[in-house]
Amino acid sequence: MDWLEFFRGPMFQIALLVFILGMVYRFLRIVLMGWKKDYSPPRGSAAAGVVKTYVKGLGFLPFLPPKFPGTRHRPLTYIAGGMFHLGLFVVIFLSTPHMEAWRSVLGFGWPTLPTPFIDGFAAMSMIGMIILLSNRIVSPVGRMLTGLGEWLNWIVVFLPLLSGWVLYHHLFGMPYQTIFAIHMFTVDWLLIWIPFSRISHFMTYFITRTMHGAKFGRLGVEP
Amino acid sequence: MTEKTIYESMVERGLSRRDFLKLATLMTAALGLEYSQLPKVVHAMENKPRLPVIWLEFQDCAGCSEALTRSHDPYLTKLLFNDISVDYHETLFAAAGKQAEENKERVMDEYEGQFVLVVEGSIPTKDNGVYCTIGGRSAIDLLEEAASKAMAIISVGTCASFGGLPHANPNPTGAVGVHELVKDKPIIHVPGCPPIPEVITNTIAHVVLLGEIPELDALGRPKAFYGQTVHDRCPRRPFYERGQFAESYDDKGAKAGWCLYKLGCKGPTTYSACATIKWNEGVSFPVQSNHPCLGCTEPDFWDGGGFYKSLAAPPGAEAARGAQAGFASLGGAALAVGSALYARKIKQKAAEEFKAQKKKEA
Repeated sequence: MDWLEFFRGPMFQIALLVFILGMVYRFLRIVLMGWKKDYSPPRGSAAAGVVKTYVKGLGFLPFLPPKFPGTRHRPLTYIAGGMFHLGLFVVIFLSTPHMEAWRSVLGFGWPTLPTPFIDGFAAMSMIGMIILLSNRIVSPVGRMLTGLGEWLNWIVVFLPLLSGWVLYHHLFGMPYQTIFAIHMFTVDWLLIWIPFSRISHFMTYFITRTMHGAKFGRLGVEP
Repeated sequence: MTEKTIYESMVERGLSRRDFLKLATLMTAALGLEYSQLPKVVHAMENKPRLPVIWLEFQDCAGCSEALTRSHDPYLTKLLFNDISVDYHETLFAAAGKQAEENKERVMDEYEGQFVLVVEGSIPTKDNGVYCTIGGRSAIDLLEEAASKAMAIISVGTCASFGGLPHANPNPTGAVGVHELVKDKPIIHVPGCPPIPEVITNTIAHVVLLGEIPELDALGRPKAFYGQTVHDRCPRRPFYERGQFAESYDDKGAKAGWCLYKLGCKGPTTYSACATIKWNEGVSFPVQSNHPCLGCTEPDFWDGGGFYKSLAAPPGAEAARGAQAGFASLGGAALAVGSALYARKIKQKAAEEFKAQKKKEA
């Protein structure tokens, strides 16, 4: 078994299992922490609050930057952060090879985008990441807020993007299998790393939004 | 021993100087050399005596030899059989038995350190190599003898290069490629199942004519023929870029000649000149004939996870993966419930202690 087969095969499988186990644990551990009892009669619908917060948070605010206070105060973080997240989402879910990988794991597929689009989104994502990193390094507050975990997060997310880019463009004259193996290795590490790090906010974000939406929708009183 | 040069034997067969120069020019192009290298080829053909080639077959299907006989480059094939002499080839030989073996021995001794050894098929190493014997001698024995006297070795086909089909999991005969056994001779890999006929003839011609090893890649394959992937030279590449894929062998996409990536094409990881030299006098190659590339020029292509499974899909059985994912989820859930219950217990205990403390104070 060569490196490529190892990183695509057993190592990927192990990474996937660590990821699933870790994320199920994190999800249930948060949910099972319990809810405080709300004794007052609700003044609104919790469900409507949840819907409203998702519409606002995912469907409305990102496209109306000037209305969002964060945009006015920290435009760089807002725009570069948006570039990174949108680019990463498109690359992970809408490129054909990635969809095929998902299909092999989930059992179903979906339509994908032509490669030049994916290429553009990947570039956008990496540029966004570089801007965010530079900002963190330059800003004294950013530096103080960043621990070892955050620096590592950046590296662990950036490497799959970079290796995928090198892979697609055949850069540095490396044999395709070598760089494919490197790409798979970085992906395996990303999967293993996610449950242990704050990258798990790809899931916890939805828990937070749902809870906040429900709370603000209900407008009850907690003792 | 005084041998005729290639040029002399051509003149003897009635070829003119002009014919010879034409052939030399064609050879230069066929070897993947620049035009500036023509004088080198001419010089070699004028001065080098014809060199013998010994072709050994071990655990193979003779498909590579079949391919060789279908080389559509008549000049090269003629050159190989008329001027460069293939002095021993079990499948193509009219002679057989003791005389043929004796001839091989004679050539090996006469041209020690000068002949080119071509090996086709893998070599079984398990149980002292009993799984492949010729004339009562094992393949390992025959290879070691021939290799020790050869100038260079050309492993033709994926079996001789990387073990190929006999090497596939679980490899019952312990089959290996030539390079696993022979360490002290230059070895050129010409993998493929079979390799493109012209790639076989050109590589042999290169070594025999110029007496040098062509430029090789990391896996020991001539860069002239294995320098680019099938994907990079594929006529269907634009469909890949546009995201137009055949989803099955008889859908609209397949009929329109769209990319076969989703049907398991291994073109992106396969280095070969299939898409440029093609097969059967340049008629077609697998992808052009609506079948995905199997990746036959790469090591362990039999164990790559399935010919008809997308390259992006990780190898292994999907059902097993699903079951393991289920167990992982259950494990995660059990861990979470357990630790949540434990945390609750600690909390309750702390609350009780707090109550007791307060009571005491009161």
